[in-house]
Parts: sequence; C-alpha cells; structure tokens
Amino acid sequence: MTTLDGATVEVVRSYLLSAAEEMRATLIRTSFNPVIYEVHDFGMSMYDADLRLIAEATGLTFFLGANDFSLRKGVEYVGRENLHRGDVVLLNYPYWNAAHSYDATLFAPVFQPDPADESADGTLVGFLCVRAHWMDLGAKDPGYVLDSTDMHQEGLIFPGTKVVSRGEPVREIHELIRFNSRMPNEVLGDLHAQIAALRTGERRFLEILEKFGRPTVDAAVGRIIADGEARARAALAELPQGSWTAEDWLDDDGITEDPVRMRVTVTIADGTFTVDFAGSAPATAGPINMPFGATEAICKVVLKSLTSADQPSNEGTVAPLVVRAEPGSLFHAVYPQPTFTLWTGIVAFELILKALAQGMPERLPASSGGDVPGFMMVGTHPDTGQLFAVSNNDPVGWGGTARHDGMNSASHVSGNTGRITPVEVLEARTGMFFERVEIRTDSGGPGRFRGGAGL
Amino acid sequence: MPDPHLRLAVDIGGTFVDAMELNTRTNEVRFRKASTTPARPWEGVLNAIEALGTDLSQVELFIHGTTLGLNAVLERRGEPTGIITNDGFRDIFLIGRGNVPADHMYDFQYQRPESLVQRRYTAGVTGRLDYKGRVVEELDPASVRAAARTLVEEQGVKSIAICFLHSFLDPAHERAAAELIREAYPEVSLSVSTDIVREYREYERTSTTVLEAYIRPIFERYVDHLEAGLAERGFAGRFLIMRSGGGSMTSTVAKTSPTHTVLSGPAGGIVGAAYLAETLGRDNLLTFDIGGTSLDACVIERGDPVAAYEAQLEHFPLLIPAYDIRTIGAGGGSIAWLDRELLKVGPQSAGADPGPVCYGRGGTRPTVTDAAVALGYVDPDRFLGGEMGLQAEAARRALDEQIAQPLGLTPVAAAAGIFDVLLAKTVGAVRQITVERGHDPRVFSLLAFGGAGPLLAPLLAREMGIREVVVPYAPSGFSAWGMLSADIVNDFSRTVLANLDDIDLDDLAGRFAEAEQEAVASLGNQGVPAEEAILERQLELRYLGQEHSMIVSVGRVLDPAAIRASFEELHRARYGHAMENQLQILNLRVRGIGRTTRPELASLPAGDGDPKRALLAHRDAYDFGTREVVPFAVYDRATLAPGDTFTGPALIDEGTSTTVVPSGQRVEVDQHGYLLVTLVGEAS
Repeated sequence: MTTLDGATVEVVRSYLLSAAEEMRATLIRTSFNPVIYEVHDFGMSMYDADLRLIAEATGLTFFLGANDFSLRKGVEYVGRENLHRGDVVLLNYPYWNAAHSYDATLFAPVFQPDPADESADGTLVGFLCVRAHWMDLGAKDPGYVLDSTDMHQEGLIFPGTKVVSRGEPVREIHELIRFNSRMPNEVLGDLHAQIAALRTGERRFLEILEKFGRPTVDAAVGRIIADGEARARAALAELPQGSWTAEDWLDDDGITEDPVRMRVTVTIADGTFTVDFAGSAPATAGPINMPFGATEAICKVVLKSLTSADQPSNEGTVAPLVVRAEPGSLFHAVYPQPTFTLWTGIVAFELILKALAQGMPERLPASSGGDVPGFMMVGTHPDTGQLFAVSNNDPVGWGGTARHDGMNSASHVSGNTGRITPVEVLEARTGMFFERVEIRTDSGGPGRFRGGAGL
Repeated sequence: MPDPHLRLAVDIGGTFVDAMELNTRTNEVRFRKASTTPARPWEGVLNAIEALGTDLSQVELFIHGTTLGLNAVLERRGEPTGIITNDGFRDIFLIGRGNVPADHMYDFQYQRPESLVQRRYTAGVTGRLDYKGRVVEELDPASVRAAARTLVEEQGVKSIAICFLHSFLDPAHERAAAELIREAYPEVSLSVSTDIVREYREYERTSTTVLEAYIRPIFERYVDHLEAGLAERGFAGRFLIMRSGGGSMTSTVAKTSPTHTVLSGPAGGIVGAAYLAETLGRDNLLTFDIGGTSLDACVIERGDPVAAYEAQLEHFPLLIPAYDIRTIGAGGGSIAWLDRELLKVGPQSAGADPGPVCYGRGGTRPTVTDAAVALGYVDPDRFLGGEMGLQAEAARRALDEQIAQPLGLTPVAAAAGIFDVLLAKTVGAVRQITVERGHDPRVFSLLAFGGAGPLLAPLLAREMGIREVVVPYAPSGFSAWGMLSADIVNDFSRTVLANLDDIDLDDLAGRFAEAEQEAVASLGNQGVPAEEAILERQLELRYLGQEHSMIVSVGRVLDPAAIRASFEELHRARYGHAMENQLQILNLRVRGIGRTTRPELASLPAGDGDPKRALLAHRDAYDFGTREVVPFAVYDRATLAPGDTFTGPALIDEGTSTTVVPSGQRVEVDQHGYLLVTLVGEAS
C-alpha cells in the first residue's frame, strides 16, 4: 500500500469534497421541487468500492447518515454482479431505505473503464448516492400521509430498481412513475436532477482517479477514514464514561389518542457509543414508526456532533457507534408496519441528548421546542383553480446551554440547515393570508441562560 | 494652469491602501501603497495620495473603493437601528429563514452572530397589502407615529428601516410611513425598502434595508471627512465611489445608498478584468485575486463578469447586484498548521498584524508567504521594493519546526506541500464557478492579480490545464487600476412573477419604461445627460416550478418567442437540456450606464527580443514542474520589453509581487508589457 504524507492526503480530500459539492450544485440547480431547492431536503455522498463513506456534501444531517444504510441494502438486493457501468438504481422500500417512501434514494456504481476494452464495465471503484424528498408517489392521500396503517398505503415502492441501465433510461420505469404520481412532472424532474447529480459525481470521481492514480486515492481514502475514526475515538475517550437513560412520550400515532413511550439508554464505555432503545413501545398501528436505518442515522448525528462536529464525515467518524432496537418496535419497523410520519426521529434525537445531558450537562443544550412544527397544505388556488401543495417547517426555540441563552426561533436541530418559506411566497402560491408570524415572547423558559423563544 | 489631466483611484483593502494615478495625456500609470488606518480610515487614503505625490488640483476624477460599510457591519459599529413593519411581523429580521449556516450543521449550541437590531427596536404598524398588492387594511398614521415615538424617544434609535409585506408591488404604504416619521423626527435617518429594491421575499428585502439603515450615518460621515480632506488639498474634480455590482456612483449618491458599496472591495479588479477582456480580446477570463487573507475568483463570460442579484454579508442576505465571486479563506497570510499530522492551510490568517513570520513583526506561525520564501520565490531584500527586509531564516525555521519535522519532510517539501494543499482548495473553488455555469475551465485565460496572484496562477493553470495566464502591470494594485475604467452605473428592478405566455406585453413594457425613467433620472443627478445614458434591459426567468433563475437580455421590442429562445439557449449551455415547461418572469432589471472615457493601455516600444537585459540573477528555487530545487532565472519586470520570450523555470520580480513560472511553461511579454504565461506546446 502506498504511504502518503499529510499534504497529499489533504490534497486528495479537497478534490473529493469538491466533487461532492459539485453534485450538490447540480441537484439544486436542476430540481423542480421546492422541498429540494428551498428547504434543501436532500443528502448526497460518495463511497469507495467497499461501500465505505468517503465524502459528503452539505445537506440534511439525517439524510446523510441514512445513505450509508440504504446503499448497503440496495447493493445487496441488486447484487454487485448485476451492476454495470452507467446504471442508476432507485430505492425507496422504507425498511431498506432508512426513511419513508417519499425520500427517494438514487445510487450509481462508478466503474473505471479498462483502456484495453472500452466496451466492458471496467473496474468497480466506488458508489455515489443522492437522496431527495419527492412530492408524490401515489400514496393514499395527496401531500403527506398521516394515518396509514401499512406500507402499501404509502405509495409506489421500488426495492432497488434500475431507472437507468448501462446509460440508457429505463422508459418503462419512468412511465410507471408518471402514471402513479399525482405530480408526475415534478417527480420526474427531480429524478432527472438526481441522475444529473450522479453523473457529475461520476465524471469527477473518475477524473480524480485518473489524476492521482488509484493507489494514491486508495491510500488517501484509507488515511481519511482512519483519521476520522481516530479522532472520533479520541474525542469519545475524553467524554465522561457511563450509562444514562431517558424517557419521553409522543402524543399519539395518528390513529389512536394514546401516548407512545420512547426510552433510550446511551452508554459510553470501552471506545464505543451504544444507543439502545430497549423499553420503547412496540411498533404502532399508525405511521410514526422508524425504519432501523433511520434510527441509526439520528444516532450518527448525535455521535458526530459530540466527537467531530467540525470535520467532514466519513466511515471512520461513526465507527464507534452501536445501535440497538428490537425488530417490530417503534425504532425498528418491519414489513408491513407504516413509517410515513417517521418524525419520531426528530423527537427521539432530542431524547438521546436528554439522556446524555445527565452525564455531561456542560456539553449539551437543554431540550428545544422539541419537534419540527411542520405544516403542509394542499388546496386549490383561488386565482388559478390549480392544485397546490406547500409545506413549511416553522422554527422553534433552541434549548439554553451552560454558556449562553438558547437561540430564538430557529429550524429544529434535526434539520437545522433547512429554511422557512417567505410569507410573500406562501401567500402568493396558495392565496392564504397570514395574520401573524412572531416570536412568542418569554416562551423559552427562564434560567441563568434561558431557553430560546419559539414562534 | 493646465487643465486637470490626472485620474486617481484609491482602494482600501484589509492591509494596505493602494493608490493608482493615471496621466490621461501620456497614459502613464503610477502606483503606491500605504498602510490602512482603521480608526480614521480617510487618513490612510490621504496618506496613500501623499506617498504617491499626486497634485490633487490636477485630478479631474477621483475614484474610491472602500470596505467601510462592510467593516462597520463586521465590527458592529453602526448606528442603533430600528425596524418598522406590519403589525404581527416585527420579528421577520430576527427570525430570518430560520436556518443555521451549513458550516455549523453539527453545532447544537449554535448562536446567531449578534444581531444588528435589538428586538425592542422593532415595531409593527397597522396596514396590510395582499399578495396582489391590494390594500387589505389601510395604513394607520396614528400607529406609525406611535411606533416611531417608541423607537426614537424611548429606545433612542438613530436610524430606521421601513419594510412592509408585498411592498414591492406597491410602495405607497412605505412611502407614507416614511413621510410621517420624517415629519415627526427629521433628524432620524430613514431607509425605505422599496427605495433600495423592489423584489419579493420579505426577509431578504428587510435585511437589505436594515443593512443600509445601519451603515448609512457612518458612511455619510466618512465621505464628508474624505471630501473635506481632498478639498483642503486642492481637489475640485469629480468624486466617484465603486459599487459592488460594477461601475461607480457619485459620492453624493453613495451617501444615500451605501448598501451598494459594501461588497465593492473586489469590484475594481473585476471591472478592470472586464475592460481587459475587451481590449486584449480575451472573451473568457477567470479573475484570480489573492491578497493577504483571501482568494477571490470570478468568471468573465463573453466579456461580461458573472453577476449575482443576491449577495451575503456575514449571514445577512442583500438584494443588490454584485459580482458572483467565489472567496476562499486562503491568502498570503493564511496559516499552515497540522491537525493530527494532516496539513491544513487557513482559514486562519496572520493578517497584517502580526503577519507572516518573515515580516518579523511577531508572527510565529508559518504562512503561505513564509512557504513562498522557503521555496525561494521571494527575494527577501527586494520585497516591497526593499522597504521591508524579510526574515527568511525565521520563516524557514518556523516551517521546519512546526510542519516539516512532525511530518518527516524537508522544509522545502513541507513548503511545497503547503502550496499543494492551497492549490487543491483553489482548484475546487475555480472548478465550481466554471462548471456551475456549464463551462470547461480550460477554455479560460486566468488573470492573476493581488499581491500573491502571480505567485500561484501559473501553478493553478498547470494543475487545471488552463492555457494562458495574464499578469497585468502592477498586479498588486490592479483593483485600483480597474477602478479607473469604471462607468457610472445604476440598477433598478421590479418583481413581476407572471408567466411569459400570459403576460400583458404593454404592461411589461410600461414597467420597463418606469424603471428606465428612474435610471435616467439617477444618471442625470450624477452628471450623465439623458442622451448619453445607456440602458440595458434584462428579464430574470425560470421554468415554472424551479427556484433558480437565469438572466436574459432583451431588446426594445418584447418578443416572447425570442425571449424564450434566448432562455433555452442559455439553459442548454448551463444544464445541457431545455424543457417545454412554462416560463415564469421573476424580475425585470434595468441597468443605466454613463460611460467614462476608458484609460488607454499604453503600448510600449518593442525591445530587441532578448530578455537577458532584464536578467538579474539566477536563484535556486523549488520547481513544481519537476518537483525539485533548480536554478531559476530572475528577471526584473521593469526592464522586460514587448516581444521578449523565455521559458521557466523563471521568476519575474517587480517588488510588490513575483510571478513564478515553473518549467514547462513559457512567458511572452505583450505590447502593453503584460506577461502571458502559457503551457509549452500550447502557445496561445
């Protein structure tokens, strides 16, 4: 194996990150869907041939953590031997996709062509993954599904289906989507935008291999991942060691009025960070259940924030993580349990922080407004008579910290780079009238450092 | 007494004030630098002029670029500023779009930077328009007076921003409110959103207005001081100030719309680059401006710099035209450091004080400039014309101890590594700005300026396969030079939000005419007669449903089919495809231009073609072409002559900057004395 100095590693890292950012720019500029281009509800990442995360672009933290899981399941389902140069695969089967069915994961293998035989696939050198929220895939209700009782009410499912095969679009699949979506133009537009992002990433990935040579890139990737892991483990060792449990309740599951119990025990010991959801409710009848990959994704975000917040993510940064949740429980849904409103993760994310805060109050904020108060509206515009669907995630107050007040009215920590939609845009798009959008004075909770006020 | 025949441009940067004088009779250009004087910034300007020795009574035109507004915001030195808006929406500015900046996405204890406006300085008033601009509720004068009374008398604000929902459709409520406040409190500075920009999105418009309100009083005082200082020294010519989006405006106009100056720092260089694109016949140029703390790159496409219609200051959005400049925190002062044995460069900078180790002003951490010294690129005795002896040994020692030894490298290899890391970041940034626009970076010429631009540009060209680097005269003062060619410019816009196929063309033409009248009136106030005003019309369009828009130039006759064709051509160039979807007109834009007489590029007499006359010495330095230390020929830029050609490895020294030419690259001196660096075998 080639050994590299610390300068070369950083040079290769810069090139990889820049490729991921180029994928991101491509998606934003070509997508049709305000949830992608306004709310930036997407995540994209690059992997080596062993499916190890090597670089990611800025995006929603939960999405990014979920890509790793989906890619593994997707490749397992399709089979490496069935992946060819130019393929793009669509996966939204919730239990493999680590998200609900409207978060469409597209992934592509990257092959380095063999100069001696241009027509062959060449060598598999890595994978690229782009996940984005789609507007409609024909679930039981337009917009969002709030009361599904099994997966089959949540739209069309792709378990790992080629939408592009050896560089050629698979027309039958595109048509299937067109005929199954209430908003076919937007969805197919986003599909194309995601494919364009993957193509950009593929080109750049191959250029990087060409420029530095595979041995150098492999060695640099090895160092980047080893460094990520060493950093995470060193930071973990600096944290208080121990085990802490916290409990909280969700209001209901969208079907019954019964509160739903969440319980988590976080253990930091022996170089691992274990998050165990034992004691949480069994999976519910309504769609608030989490696919296991989605549960893992929120745990990754917590670990990363504690150990390497300012570092680019890679396979190594989450190596110390162990997540446990009983299959068939709230945090590990199995077929056909409904998962559409998996925002349980948003609340559970803060529950993990609440558990940890018992052991390290100076490192963590108090609980925030607690949830993403999102509203969605579907209706007919009074001027045009046309159907509209809008969604907006309102800000919440952030928890106070050991050093300063919590932030007033900001996007929930689980999707903190997301932006709210301007009132001028919402009113024009829907014909609605907003009477008041104000910070709710003194809603944050008192204290030496008070909580942030909500909206 | 001869007629005033000098033009003077003065550019304040983070570290130095650059002064450039042009003699319009001889086309001769002179250049000097002075230190900035942050506490009394106008003094640095006057010092630089004094150092240059310009007789101000002979100056017909003084053009100034200043980052004063920017610094006032960064340092929170503006006036106590209040906001008056609709009842129920007083927190628009404080909430923003709710998002945490992407570089803080994992920071769950994030705090917004200190706001420019305290919540108690915000107030709502009765009166509301709907999304079509129809009055839902009349403006209540009593509520406006009451709000102003609270802000001014109880809270003591000195400046007020007025911004109402949907006001871009009808400014009447904002204007009426301003009138009421002006009557009651004539001493309070007022900024009205629709006077600055008539575009949709309330947070962005409010933020733009607040920034203006915040810096306006301080900017006005600064310009007054400078005007007085110049007048005392005999100046009686025209005083122009650079705008962020290109061109300039009179100092009088600048005092009332200082927002347009806040991002003007790098604008001079880009205006100059656009001028060179035209005069040198290089349609596609990439500007590559490296100063002490940052690297700014901008694309010039078919002769026009790429514009952006939304900019950012800290995390505050600004709806003002600006150049689409990509900045990375990597300059001569950027600190190299080890993070678990990985080599990082920047974003921390040693700045001007203490500066790089080699400055000998107390800096202890090695920087890019120190690496350049260790690589042999900078002659310690000639740096800044020898006025500042460099401590090369101290630089080498810091590199050795802090970088080379821990990495197990020689000091030279460590210094080369610093350049490699910096270049890799730069390649990423430069690729992004070209590829995002659908271009291959290799079709561009790279225009290198700023103190460290010529140090790195040939290396970047090599790395990216860019065919040509252009190094202008006095690259470290190029921004100031560029200002000499700035026109008087203004921009007006209207949000339209209608489908191209459905729009009433007469109505659209009427709105263009209205914006054009404003442009002509504003140019008239700045001494440009109506018959000389050049008006450019543009539409900002997008496919219905998409967020990102593109700008299309349109003629006097509005032809939807032609507009659509232009848009599709651009869309294909940028994204590789066009679609059948409806087109939506987002904004119309009018740019008014009053041309100034451009400085002519002096043509120098050709030499005998033998660069030996300029050869100063040979010096050992690190060659990125072969990755080893080899002898470099060192040339004196001042004695190179048009027609000279030579190949690397070579260094071209001109005191304020050094051009580094690795082996495998070739230099040609053009008729203006500019250096053209090409890859051998690919001469332009």
